[in-house]
Amino acid sequence: MYPYEGMFLLDSGAFAEDGEALEKKLRGLLEKHGAEITQLEQWDERRLAYEIKGHKRGVYLLGYLRMPGQNVAELRGDLALQEWYIRGLFVRLDRDIPAFLEANAKYYDRVREDATERRPRREDEAVPVPATKDAPQTEASDAP
Amino acid sequence: MPRRNSRSKSKSKSKSKSKFKRFSEKRRCRFTRMGVEFIDWKDVVTLQRLSTGQGKILGRKRSGTSASFQRKLSTAIKRARFMALLPYVGG
Repeated sequence: MYPYEGMFLLDSGAFAEDGEALEKKLRGLLEKHGAEITQLEQWDERRLAYEIKGHKRGVYLLGYLRMPGQNVAELRGDLALQEWYIRGLFVRLDRDIPAFLEANAKYYDRVREDATERRPRREDEAVPVPATKDAPQTEASDAP
Repeated sequence: MPRRNSRSKSKSKSKSKSKFKRFSEKRRCRFTRMGVEFIDWKDVVTLQRLSTGQGKILGRKRSGTSASFQRKLSTAIKRARFMALLPYVGG
């Protein structure tokens, strides 16, 4: 059993119709292949940087799971057969999931600090409102 | 042989060192400066900053990124491209 970070790109139209059902189907497929899901949630809905199989928009689900390495290929094959599934990526983590989540939160804190430090503000400039979401920015959504 | 101008030499050395230090601090790799362990491939904003308008990965000479972080950056950008978070080509 290895820890994985999985991102799944789903059809935004199908997700808009019944997102919960799709999430359940995805969970079912993951569990069928022996995955222990720590976290699975919607990460973002955005316009894709390039068209994939005729899709211009997609919903990204981000999950953290533990599963046997030999099952990943089978899972990929099963997922590819689903109509609502566009693409996915499994990244094997170099540390356990809680440690990774902690390091990831620290990473975004540092990135945010650096972004505010890099540009010294003028006296007359308004103080920016701190971001409320922990999730990364979605500036790329406007990208073609 | 007696040392000549040893004081003035050391003074000028220390002065140049401080200048160098300032310069090097300014030019250090942004990830080393931030003190992060890895580059998150989902951090689209940072990855976009380190690629050109055409979607090419910026070189180390232009971005100042250290060798180890440049390798991590390259992997992160390629993962983001695969998931259609970043374009392979064109902006």
